[in-house]
Amino acid sequence: QESAIKGRVTDTNGIPLEAVTVAVTETGASTMTGGDGAFVINASVGQTLRFSLVGAEAKTVAIVDTRPVDVQLDINFDLEEVVVTGYQTQRKADLTGAVSVVKMDEVTTQPTGNIMKTLQGRVPGTFITTSGSPDGAADVRIRGIGTLGNSNPLYIIDGMPSTKSMNEIATLDIESIQILKDASSASIYGSRAANGVIIITTKKGQRGSTKVEARISSGIKNYAKSLEWLDTEQRGYVQWQAARNDGTDPNFGVYGFEDHQDAQGNWVLDRVIIPEFIDAAKTMRAANTDWVDEVGRNAVIQNYNLNLSTGGENSKALFSLDYFDSDGTVRGTYFDRLSARINSDFSLLKGRLTLGENFSITKATHDVLGSTLGVTRNIQPIVPVHTVDGVGWGGPVAGMSDRQNPVRLIEDNKQNNNHMLRLFGDVFLDLQLLENLKFRSMLGMDYSFSWQRNMQKTYTSGFMSEPTASLVNYNNRWGNYVWNNTLTYKLDLKDKHHFDFLAGQELISYYSENLQAGRREFTSEDPDYMYLDAGEGAQTNSGSATEYRLLSYFGKINYNFADKYLASVTTRYDGSSRFGSNNPFGLFPAFSLGWRISEEDFFKSSLSFVSDFKLRFGWGQTGNQEIGDFASYGMYEARYGTNPTWDPDNGTAYDINGTGTGTLPSGYRRIQQSNPNLRWETATQNNFGVDFGLFGQRISGSFDYFTKNTDDILIQPPFIATLGEGGNRWVNGASMTNKGYEFLLTYANGTEKLRYTITGNLAGYRNKVTKLPEDVINSYPGNGVDQTILGRPLNSLFGYVADGLFRTPEDVTDHATQIGSGVGRIRYVDVNGNGTISDEDRTWLGVADPKFVYGINFSISYKRWDAGMFWNGLYGGLVNNGAKGYTDFISFFGGENYGTRVLGAWSPQNPDSDIPALSFNDLNDEKRFSTYFIESASYFKLRTLEVGYTVSPTALQRIGLQGVRVFALGENLVTFKKGWGENRYTGVDPETPNSGYPIPFSLTFGTTISF
Amino acid sequence: ESFLDVNPKSKLSESQIATPENAENLVIAAYSSLGNENYNNKTNSLWPYGDLRSGDAYKGGAGTGDMGEWNLYETFVSMRVDVGGLDQKWYRQYVAISRANNALQRINALSEEEYPKKTIRAAEMRFLRAHFLFELKLLFKQIPFIDETLPPEEYINVSNVQYTDAELWEKIIAEFRFAADNLPPDNDGQLGRANQYMAKAYLAKALLYAAYEQNEKHEVTNINQQKLEEVVALVDELAVRYDLAEDFAYNFLCEYENGPESIFAVQNSLNDGTEFGRLDWSAMLNYPMNAEYGCCGFHQPSQNLVNAYKTGDNGLPVFDGFNNTDMASAAQLKTQSIDPRLLHTVAIPGLPYKYKPDFIFENSWIRQIETYGYYMSLKEVVLYDSPCFKKVNPFMSSSKNRDIIRYDDALLWKAEALIELGRHMEALPTINRLRERAAESTSRLVDADGQPTGNFRVVTYQNGVNCNWTQAFARQALRWERRLELAMEGSRFFDLVRWGIADSYVNEYLSAEKAKRTYLAASTFEKNRDEFFPIPLAQINFSKKLYEQNYGWE
Repeated sequence: QESAIKGRVTDTNGIPLEAVTVAVTETGASTMTGGDGAFVINASVGQTLRFSLVGAEAKTVAIVDTRPVDVQLDINFDLEEVVVTGYQTQRKADLTGAVSVVKMDEVTTQPTGNIMKTLQGRVPGTFITTSGSPDGAADVRIRGIGTLGNSNPLYIIDGMPSTKSMNEIATLDIESIQILKDASSASIYGSRAANGVIIITTKKGQRGSTKVEARISSGIKNYAKSLEWLDTEQRGYVQWQAARNDGTDPNFGVYGFEDHQDAQGNWVLDRVIIPEFIDAAKTMRAANTDWVDEVGRNAVIQNYNLNLSTGGENSKALFSLDYFDSDGTVRGTYFDRLSARINSDFSLLKGRLTLGENFSITKATHDVLGSTLGVTRNIQPIVPVHTVDGVGWGGPVAGMSDRQNPVRLIEDNKQNNNHMLRLFGDVFLDLQLLENLKFRSMLGMDYSFSWQRNMQKTYTSGFMSEPTASLVNYNNRWGNYVWNNTLTYKLDLKDKHHFDFLAGQELISYYSENLQAGRREFTSEDPDYMYLDAGEGAQTNSGSATEYRLLSYFGKINYNFADKYLASVTTRYDGSSRFGSNNPFGLFPAFSLGWRISEEDFFKSSLSFVSDFKLRFGWGQTGNQEIGDFASYGMYEARYGTNPTWDPDNGTAYDINGTGTGTLPSGYRRIQQSNPNLRWETATQNNFGVDFGLFGQRISGSFDYFTKNTDDILIQPPFIATLGEGGNRWVNGASMTNKGYEFLLTYANGTEKLRYTITGNLAGYRNKVTKLPEDVINSYPGNGVDQTILGRPLNSLFGYVADGLFRTPEDVTDHATQIGSGVGRIRYVDVNGNGTISDEDRTWLGVADPKFVYGINFSISYKRWDAGMFWNGLYGGLVNNGAKGYTDFISFFGGENYGTRVLGAWSPQNPDSDIPALSFNDLNDEKRFSTYFIESASYFKLRTLEVGYTVSPTALQRIGLQGVRVFALGENLVTFKKGWGENRYTGVDPETPNSGYPIPFSLTFGTTISF
Repeated sequence: ESFLDVNPKSKLSESQIATPENAENLVIAAYSSLGNENYNNKTNSLWPYGDLRSGDAYKGGAGTGDMGEWNLYETFVSMRVDVGGLDQKWYRQYVAISRANNALQRINALSEEEYPKKTIRAAEMRFLRAHFLFELKLLFKQIPFIDETLPPEEYINVSNVQYTDAELWEKIIAEFRFAADNLPPDNDGQLGRANQYMAKAYLAKALLYAAYEQNEKHEVTNINQQKLEEVVALVDELAVRYDLAEDFAYNFLCEYENGPESIFAVQNSLNDGTEFGRLDWSAMLNYPMNAEYGCCGFHQPSQNLVNAYKTGDNGLPVFDGFNNTDMASAAQLKTQSIDPRLLHTVAIPGLPYKYKPDFIFENSWIRQIETYGYYMSLKEVVLYDSPCFKKVNPFMSSSKNRDIIRYDDALLWKAEALIELGRHMEALPTINRLRERAAESTSRLVDADGQPTGNFRVVTYQNGVNCNWTQAFARQALRWERRLELAMEGSRFFDLVRWGIADSYVNEYLSAEKAKRTYLAASTFEKNRDEFFPIPLAQINFSKKLYEQNYGWE
């Protein structure tokens, strides 16, 4: 018997809620509340009503009679979310520091080796740069560059600190990520927290029934060809044009030409003569090889994850197995990873004691060679991949650069892989001593093992050859254990004063040891044969070890008065073995204050549309110890010999007897001067923040402004040469400041069927070097005299100003004296106006750092369909596009191949070109660093576009499944770059300049099935 | 707190090395510096500095951008005070000096009882230190003099103008004199160790350079006769120990290393427990591009140098007009009479490479003919099938020793000193001795049929017969002879500066050569500047402007 059920929906404070969806679960009938929160719906007694509103926790109410139904919804549901903030958890509403919480559902569908990659552009204040390399490498900077050394953040994974990258953690095992950006929130991690802290919590077992979830995704990455080199005919033309420009005979090397002079005396090319063979022995037929094509491929990426979770009265457990396999779009590159995880806990003594563990084991394998894209320009297109027999390798002949055939490099390195095993986890004990007093102890370990067998085969490739096979084995192990103990106490006074106390202590001990052994001369190059024992020639070996330890004490008090006034005080006392005997310890205090104005009565009554408004301020100090483990010691070492191929031998052995062979007497060399006064580097941060929510949290967001002053920055300054070998020492020498802002805004709305969310973020920073030791200043941009980096951003660019080309002889004579000037050459600005272009004309050309980075995410769901789209961009950054040295010039790198841009070089027939005239010589010193090479790094990209469909639960119940979602995901679908103006980007993708690994466009399909 | 006590691994502390045994080892480590080098920063051989700027050689390699700093050196005009490679070269010299000073500090702290060889080893270290200072002095003129008595924190206060040019020479001379006075004639029979004769030879060399007194503008203002007298006496003393090798070729073959002519050489080694051997890394870029070698075609002889080996019908050099026509082909060498030292020094297309009659050097072996022409360097290389050759992919070199001082060089110092002393008649037999040896050094210069590869004609100078041996003529003959004998060994530019003729000589060379090699088109040598490199800007800055820049570079 259906009847009209009336009712009213309010928030927990009794304020009516509009636009709440009210639905009858059994019939699907629905309506919405009006401005007074009232609704009317037809339903029967015994049926259920479901009340839902975006941003609030949905509620279901059973209809027991026909009386009006009054329902309260908690619209601050989002704010009740619990956040891990350092040895404890806090409600989001109580946070007073700058903490970003990652929305995991937006990032987990991208198959990637490193979760941080997917956060690019999503978290304001977290600057992430990546490439298309399959190894998942990502450069993570929180609030910019805070120091002159290592700027990597600290990761805390289930309470275990780690400074390693996230490559070995399965993306789908991650439950949540929080990023502590300011000092007041990070300083509890004191040491190593100066670059920010990223807290990662892995999935845990859930109470209730056993749940199984399987995820499968597979995709294809499209090889984005980002380099365009000359083909054989074009390469010949360029040689001819340059030689005729220089007034020399173009006929040399592999090319011949037929040309003539026209009536004006200009040379005209009739024909490029390409020989049948490029070598005298006729083994290499002249080819037209596109080396960029030869090294690329469309690659497959796969991710399989199985996740079992269970939980009973007194125990919970989670088991997961994850396999990730990513081939690179550059042949020969790949990364695969198999990981298993068991997280479990047991509660004893009626819940007062909990024992548990989190443990993962990961085996990762990747290639050793890396990307060969950079090599593709070294070898000319006329060189064939193979010799005429189809087996031997093509390679350079006289007149060409002494570089390798990249296809040979890929083939000959196939058997060389790097393997790594990482054991990561902890065991913990939680004991409730009194009702509000808890003790927690955690013992964790993070150990890695890596090994590699690198076989170098013999080959002949043009004039390049290696007659001796060789082998090097590498074995490394490294890692640390962590032991921390904390006591927490909760105190509530008169129901309004809430205190949280935390006291703790932590020990970290790190050790690393490595071993390397090599052998030359093998009779067979079969991988089954090439082991060290089988070698017949010279043997080499080396090994070393290092160690450091940290000892810390810390405490924290959080105070909350009636949810309105919030305060927090932290202090951490850190000792490190890395510092000198005089200053091993550093003290890192912090405090923060918060005021939830929206909880004030005057605010509630007058501004009821504001659902949340909080002001935050934080101040704090964090430490940095990223220096050599033995930085404070003066040291000597025995160094029999070092490899002198690319750097000078620094050995200590000498053939004093003049016998020319045999074991040599050897000595010692100094490698470092001591500095017993070395101390912690300290960053002091101020953070001003506002969190707000409007219209029942339909609009929410936050704004943060920060300043960060880093003092006593640890540097190993270059030193006056007379100090000679081992003159280096670590000092606390520099200071810098960072100022920046972060802005996040979310709009969420919808109905029962259609829901949508738009999130935008924007962040920028500027740093400034404020102090440097005088003798170090010249290691940074500047002229060493009156122009220095002091007071300027670290990534400032300093050099000459290029002012287009000289186009007429008058241009040349009218200009200041410039050695090597001429028509078709770059004109440099006489900045100091003294009539001569010289060193003093260098000036500040801009700053490489972007003005801001931004991201915008759209997600929408309609019934069972969902879709998401994420755009991300960078504005105002500059890139030193060194690639122009080979896309615009042929004189910098002789005998190689060049970019197709040189075809558009200036010539009398092409007088409008901005690319300098072709010449084999660089008489005008155009290699000098100038604005010619500086281009805009700005871009705007469609990072992801995803469509998903969740299969109806009723349909699934019949086949015993709880949920099935299928999705399709496209990545890096559209890119915009700055293609106009003075500093337009002339390459393909400003995100990966200079032969960088191109970021592929990819398409992935996947499904999630839960049982 | 003891938890934080962590000691360095596999490293020694200052106190651990203070024993006589370790002092002995620190001495070895100091010698090791003689061979600790690499093309990248920078060769211990002075060829990039002494040959490329003298008109004897071009940089070579893959175009002007390949090791572009060397291109700056040889073209002069674009040179800057902040060239990174020069700063590195300066630093590498002080790295070597610091090893000697480190050893000296340990040696000084030990007593004669603890360390009976104390004085000898100290003399060796002062000899080595002086060698590295001498090279620095040639390159940069005004240099900080650092010895072991100064604590490192004081180095920052030592200026490069603490001593004048002349005083710096006296300091270096005093070091060699100490070594000559305290070293035994034969130091334990160890060929690599400094001995009395080595020290006397180097003393003579330092005295010869110091004798040409320069003003601030690098102009020679006076030639010190007393120093020249001592040069003559010292070289005469060497005669009891050294002699010319029978064949000029022996000086450039590893089978004959440490021969009678070698006075001071870098002792290189192979199969010595290091990965590749301690090879002559100065030559690692200087092999041709054919299959037997493969890289990298640097250090190419100039056309001017090749032309200088012409001899006239009288068997004497063609002092005037030698550069009017180019001697370029193997066929021309059959008709044009030449000094055979050309084919010991320069590889020419169509002729055997490194004395191997059936191993013909071809145009295709050359890296970039269009830029750097047709010749390659021979003295520093060895044959691919020589037991001392070693491929170190992508480079290669050999364990052949590299001579720093050879007896032929010393004989020419003596001749030079005699000529400048006005005793040029006495110099005549010395110069002729080298010419006679050259004339006889042709047995390896043959083709596959055993026929000579050139029309070799070298005649001694005979006063009144084929020349008028005046001081001026003798000076010209001596300077020519030094070129023929020592070309491509890294010393020519420093000879020119010593004689005070670098500007006119180099500019004359450039005016003709730039027509043949377009990369030289903008090159000119700036008098009163380019005689020396600038003090590296970075070092002036490190010194907080205590160092003063060389004249012409301020």
